[in-house]
Amino acid sequence: MADKQLDVLVICGSLRKGSYNAALARSLPALAPSGMTLRAAPSFAGLAVYNYDEHQASGIPQVALAWADAIRAADGVIIVSPEYNWSIPGGLKNAIDWASRLKDQDQPFAGKPVALQSAATGLLGGSRMQYHLRQSLTSIDALMFPRPEVIVTFAAKKFDAATLELTDQPTRDMIKLQLAGFEKFARMVAAKG
Amino acid sequence: MPGKNLSVISICGSLRSGSYNGIVQRALPALAPEGLMVRPAPSFSQFPLYNADVQAASGFPAAVNVLADAIRAADGVIIVSPEYNFSIPGGLKNAIDWVSRLPNQPFAGRPIALQSASPGPLGGARVQYDLRRAMVFLDAFVLNKPEIFIGSCASKLDEKTGEIKDETTRNLIKQQLAAFATFIDRVAVKA
Repeated sequence: MADKQLDVLVICGSLRKGSYNAALARSLPALAPSGMTLRAAPSFAGLAVYNYDEHQASGIPQVALAWADAIRAADGVIIVSPEYNWSIPGGLKNAIDWASRLKDQDQPFAGKPVALQSAATGLLGGSRMQYHLRQSLTSIDALMFPRPEVIVTFAAKKFDAATLELTDQPTRDMIKLQLAGFEKFARMVAAKG
Repeated sequence: MPGKNLSVISICGSLRSGSYNGIVQRALPALAPEGLMVRPAPSFSQFPLYNADVQAASGFPAAVNVLADAIRAADGVIIVSPEYNFSIPGGLKNAIDWVSRLPNQPFAGRPIALQSASPGPLGGARVQYDLRRAMVFLDAFVLNKPEIFIGSCASKLDEKTGEIKDETTRNLIKQQLAAFATFIDRVAVKA
């Protein structure tokens, strides 16, 4: 099959520069199958906290529109996020909340293949965040990739302390497996229009 | 039995002025038992999105400390929130994320009660269970029962007068607030 390149958007749930999850997101292009091109999503950093009144008065902010446009244009989305207080970071959830308010035909996540990854310094690797995200994205009709899951536990041992390069081989292998599976999943969805 | 005057604050997860959950929040003082004072918490509407780099460079925004101080000063916190996309509104979660980073984390050991209203049949149940999970990490004491899920809320809340029209809902809230006062007495750290 001479498929075209699969265009996959990567969203990072942390805004911190030294974030393990940002480092995980940066590791993906080198681990992706040759048919998959990864690009970083525009930042949601400047978004205001969602307020319906402001939405009515001023519309959806440019930052949210650009974020949603990038999602809509992609063949698939990978969300790489830390867990804050056993759940989704408020900033990431707020971006999803803004994007979910677009008109039905503009809903960026509807029918979109989505894969999840998380890294955390503890032994659960951000898994609680992932299950909440699965639940939330179900409400806006995203097509959630089941498994393999990428849950990077004890992150401080798996990234180089100085360069933040992902050095742990089993983790790299698991990511390769997930990305290869996600490519098949996204292509299957795309083929069915 | 609650033996002293308790002062609790209410946090609304919606910023919309006409919010159904705002209507419920504003109704609480009149439904509270004697000895339980309920007043609204300072707003989180202007919090920036959490970024550890911003925190490291500039410290905590003043509004974050104002909210955290109010939580610490309160005997308990009632969170009244809509459900956004089957979960916690990002703005509310972002407020929780900011205050969770403070030393002397304000939710630790704090009694919490949850309420939600929504036009759908579940009344926001999913936001409550996700909040419960986050509150476990924050070491808060969340009241178990009675739970308040105001389903089909458009028929129960009067948007014009701001009143809870539904007697069953008013009674349930009264029961929860009474149970919350007793709960606070039971779990409060003895000074």
